[in-house]
Amino acid sequence: MKRCGFGRRWLGLAVVGLVVTATTAWAADTIVLGTAISQTGKYAREGKFYVDAYQMTVDAINKAGGVKVGGKTYTLELKMYDDQSDPNLCVRLFTRLVTSDKVNFLLGPYSSGITIPASSVSEKYEIPMIQGGGASEKIFDRGYKYIFGTLPKAEFYFQSAIEAATKMNPPVKTAALLYSNEAFDRSVAEGSRQWLKEQKIEKVYDEEYQPATQDFTSILAVIKSRNPDLILLAGHVENSLNFIRQAQASDISPKMWVFTVGPPTADFRKTLGKAAEYVYGVTPWLEDMEVGGEIFRSAKEFGKQFRERFGYEADYHVASGAADVLAYKFAIEKANSLDPKRVRDALASLDVETLYGRVKFDPTGQIAMGQVLIQIQDGKLVPVYVAGKMVGKPLYPMPKWGQRK
Amino acid sequence: MLLLQVLVNGILLGGLYGIMAIGMSLIWGVMNIVNIAHGPLIMLGAYVTFWTFTLWGWDPFLSLPVTILSLFVYGYLLQRFILNLIVRAQLFLTLLITFGVEVVMVNLARIFWSSDLRQVTPSYAAANFAVGGLTIPYVRLWVFVTTVVVSVIFLLLMERTRLGRAIRATAEELRAARLTGIPVGHIYAVTYGLGAALAGAAGAMWGMLFPITPIMGGALTLKSFVVAVLGGLGTMMGAIVGGLVLGLAESFSSTYIGPTYPNAISFGLLVLILIFRPTGVLGRGEGR
Repeated sequence: MKRCGFGRRWLGLAVVGLVVTATTAWAADTIVLGTAISQTGKYAREGKFYVDAYQMTVDAINKAGGVKVGGKTYTLELKMYDDQSDPNLCVRLFTRLVTSDKVNFLLGPYSSGITIPASSVSEKYEIPMIQGGGASEKIFDRGYKYIFGTLPKAEFYFQSAIEAATKMNPPVKTAALLYSNEAFDRSVAEGSRQWLKEQKIEKVYDEEYQPATQDFTSILAVIKSRNPDLILLAGHVENSLNFIRQAQASDISPKMWVFTVGPPTADFRKTLGKAAEYVYGVTPWLEDMEVGGEIFRSAKEFGKQFRERFGYEADYHVASGAADVLAYKFAIEKANSLDPKRVRDALASLDVETLYGRVKFDPTGQIAMGQVLIQIQDGKLVPVYVAGKMVGKPLYPMPKWGQRK
Repeated sequence: MLLLQVLVNGILLGGLYGIMAIGMSLIWGVMNIVNIAHGPLIMLGAYVTFWTFTLWGWDPFLSLPVTILSLFVYGYLLQRFILNLIVRAQLFLTLLITFGVEVVMVNLARIFWSSDLRQVTPSYAAANFAVGGLTIPYVRLWVFVTTVVVSVIFLLLMERTRLGRAIRATAEELRAARLTGIPVGHIYAVTYGLGAALAGAAGAMWGMLFPITPIMGGALTLKSFVVAVLGGLGTMMGAIVGGLVLGLAESFSSTYIGPTYPNAISFGLLVLILIFRPTGVLGRGEGR
């Protein structure tokens, strides 16, 4: 009991300490990273992933010796506001961070919808913003120079899947591509066409559908008549669920099928039950991945530290957020300066290995990275293919429905 | 072969659309209420089936009477104590209040059951058989058969019983119905209850084929509306015919024009019907 009370008092002191440091003006040897991110409102859940990721990475960098610029050691500090999931408020808060708080650099908010207006602030004041919560090409196709993103492009979603398909035994020869007519899924399809062409897989079906579609039986009937080895579906979770269930009822099973969203979530596996087996999906990051770098030597170690500190599993949002903070450390040290323009140039040419994988931005500022191909095997997510090589044993070809146990 | 498969798919789907719309058509035809809460009633039926299946392991087809009965009671009470207050008011008021009921139902469902996707998954959910190159899923076939059976029972109820006659009398000539001693308030409530019961049956079967969520109702209200108008208001067979027309239109347009077109085709069809046969395919000449 006594110990407990003692611990609590120290915790109280620590909290007071944190508040004091957060409110006092920073000493000259700190680098302040400012962000306005959703801690309340509809993105509160995802926003928390980034808040925790930013905090943990900042602490880890400081513990490992901080950031070295011109022979001097700086510690990192976070200045954080809650944007209440409101893009307008977020823009105002970022303006405040830049103009009155005078932070050194910016970390992004969550979601493409909020990042699009928020990134205009960084562009206007010519201060870099690295964000890990928006993948939409609309963030990057405006010719902005100061925005960088660590979620992979929609076009790359099926790259690893299509590459892996040619390395299967026997290799995939024909593919069907089905995608919802929303901007993101259209981009996924556009990329997929290119990868299919590159890998010389014949496309036997290529159609878009409405995201509100519930009944896929007619689409499935056509796909069945073309008999593809591979089915690629880009759409909402509900679309994937309907598609798989109805394919089962129509007795359609290709050698391999891949879905954009859904497979990594527990909900998807629970709803489908046994029908989720053999399904392939993609994710930018998994704790089991063999990646790592400075500060966090491996994804596993990062995942473990994160779990111990925050009590829940790190997913790709968290890893992406951590990569954002790390990118600053490396870019600042590379530029050997705190000048926003120089750091921006260093970011543009950055190429480092991190717990999140290789961080290297393309000319638009978005990370040039593929996705990890995963397969649901025995109810678990097994990484199969990443960055040009097979890392797991795929269960291929998928057995016919009637032959499954 | 593809043509035949698409035809079969369309018919099987059309049956489900039919039973979805009978209730809407009935309530509209008898009380002139465009029931915006119809979709949520389907949602409620789906959840009743889901919970009896998940908690007690009841087979979704066998629990159908329970679903139908509970939705009937719910619908009866709703009409008796809320909707009867405005039943002869302007159309706008009835739209408003059924919209309110819709909002309350959807949000209560969200609070009690969360927004998670649910699905009724009996062991035979994906079972199918092949006939001459066609693949026919058992569940869809049984859903179709059940639709036909439920519709026939309902039709007999409307045409051959005192209750059915009372409902039709109230619909046709309210004052005369009153004079002959028909308890109109009660009859209205029974009518809405029957409409809700049919929606519940549709929901039970919907849940076997598609995911269940609190917000699934909105799109289904719209679909039921289209089917009811296509077939002709107030005629029960009209809803079935309308359902088949919509099912086939969706199925064929998706296959031969493209999967983004079914809605454009269905609503285009609706507009055409309204222009050339304003009372629907099977609608009575004079309209309501």
